[in-house]
Amino acid sequence: MRNLTTPPAANPHPRLRPSRYGIAIAVAAVVVVALVASSFLNYVYLDTIPGRASLYGLLAVALIALGTYILVRAFSRDRAMRRKHLIRAGVLIGLGVLLWLLLIDVFVFTQSAGPGVAAICVLVCLPTTGFGLLVVRRMDRNEKEPWRLVLVAAAWGAIVATSLVIWGETIWEATAQRSLVPGPGLDASTAFMAGVLEELAKGSAVVLLFLVMRDEFDDVVDGIVYGAAVGLGFNFMESVTYMTNLYAIFQPEGIGGYAAGFQWYARQVLGLFFGHATYTAFIGAGIGIARQLPSVRQKGFAIASGFIVAIAAHFSWDAWLTFFPIESNVFGLVEIHLRTLIMTGPFTAAIIALLIFGVRFEGQNLLDQLRKEAADGRGAILPDEVTVLASPWQRLKQRLRSLNHGGPREYLATARLQSAQLDLAMERWHRERKEIDTPLDAEEQLRLRVIDLRPRTAP
Amino acid sequence: MPTAPYDQVRTLYRTILVFATVGVLILIIGLVEFVHFEPPGQASGAKARIVGVYVFDPATGTTSGSDESQFAHTQQFAAVVDWSSLPGGIEVDARWYDAFGDVVGRAGPGTPEQLAGHQVVPVVVPSGFHHSLPGSYTFVVERLQDGIPVEVLARRIVLVQRA
Repeated sequence: MRNLTTPPAANPHPRLRPSRYGIAIAVAAVVVVALVASSFLNYVYLDTIPGRASLYGLLAVALIALGTYILVRAFSRDRAMRRKHLIRAGVLIGLGVLLWLLLIDVFVFTQSAGPGVAAICVLVCLPTTGFGLLVVRRMDRNEKEPWRLVLVAAAWGAIVATSLVIWGETIWEATAQRSLVPGPGLDASTAFMAGVLEELAKGSAVVLLFLVMRDEFDDVVDGIVYGAAVGLGFNFMESVTYMTNLYAIFQPEGIGGYAAGFQWYARQVLGLFFGHATYTAFIGAGIGIARQLPSVRQKGFAIASGFIVAIAAHFSWDAWLTFFPIESNVFGLVEIHLRTLIMTGPFTAAIIALLIFGVRFEGQNLLDQLRKEAADGRGAILPDEVTVLASPWQRLKQRLRSLNHGGPREYLATARLQSAQLDLAMERWHRERKEIDTPLDAEEQLRLRVIDLRPRTAP
Repeated sequence: MPTAPYDQVRTLYRTILVFATVGVLILIIGLVEFVHFEPPGQASGAKARIVGVYVFDPATGTTSGSDESQFAHTQQFAAVVDWSSLPGGIEVDARWYDAFGDVVGRAGPGTPEQLAGHQVVPVVVPSGFHHSLPGSYTFVVERLQDGIPVEVLARRIVLVQRA
């Protein structure tokens, strides 16, 4: 088997193109088929506003899907081709986003609350969601994920995942409303619907990232970051939808602004991390753990576990929210916060525990690999650099020294060098654990890149 | 800092399996809750007749106009139930639910004979509001067992428009 790839891979495979690409294509095909089917089903049988948006939005979804694929693959190409592919991806994504926003504005928000209110809702949700993404990305203290992938994850959550669930939720709700007894039974049914459909739609983004961008999906920490980013994107679009809808409902009573403002606070402040970000982070955690497990059976259990926890957490909030009634007085404001803390807090605490453990585990192993690389004496990592590279604070201090010494240019050069050195340590770690299928010369290329970057930094 | 042991991933793996076990328990509780409030085998065969949904005048307590499925948010409306269409002796009630799932109008509970004088079931405008909130409203006539609704005997859905 080992001789089947040249040069030999850490985890040898009969072909240089791993089978996970086949799985990724299959998942993507299922997503596209589901989108097309849902759009036509909506249009033919429901003829609702979201149905029309879904149908007409197919082109936008296709453009974004194609654009993001070209974007994420562009960085694995040589420099000459990369620029060409980045431009192509940028044009496609730009067209897709514009087309989608146009459809959303025309068909959904403008019909319920008007374009002005829709624009304000989007604008007030952008800073909070941006802050959420910033925090989530910074949680990976040892090796931050590239912004392009974090934003792709968030965009999937906001645009693709929300499109995927429209038809399923509309049909499920319409059927349940016409067949079940209103009350807790119907609430439980609706909660099952939201938990299963929304987490599957969001989780498919994390699964695709795991399959296609294995180089940037290292472990449980990366999984949590990508999962939370998808959740934040979904939460963004859901916030805008609820804000515009409730504005339209309550505005005839003159309190539309308060209703929308309350939704903004509940979803973009109080629920920013205690909600979709937490749920989908569990899916990412399961996939991240699976990334480092040896057997296919264990990988399957880990991924399924992540989905189960996410669905259960989402279900418990939607189904049992009414068991915590909020009084319409000043104490109600306290109750709202307590409710979130009691119902979602334990899940958020659990994902933070996984994150802390994962960061420590990753940090210890990177330190181990940094020491080994320094001991090899190949010049990519010097013995004096090990303690600095192993500590996020020491790395920051080194970058700030570079800033003082040579300005922003030197700061960036040092940051690039540190990043390349950590990439090398990560590659060594995966190779030692036989978790990668890239050939050995990929590691040598990383080493040469570090040596190439070193002269650009201050001594 | 000590070197990490190789099998720390196993710790993470076991942790997520424990979390998943808790998740499965939550979903089972949810399923039990669903079955409790939506018990199988409750089809009695009885059907209630909703005469229609009409514009309602709260001052006189009477309905007017024709049977409608859409109303302006400034209009008040009520459902009219023919309780005599139901067999005697069973415990029933009628409720209006707004788009948020809140009960905004009710008659009963009682037997069809006891409710004969409550044929008109209006939607009550929430306190502090001038009109009913826009959205989808569901009217149901339910059969109760031990005080819990177990079967919908008739159902109507109407839309209250924003403008």
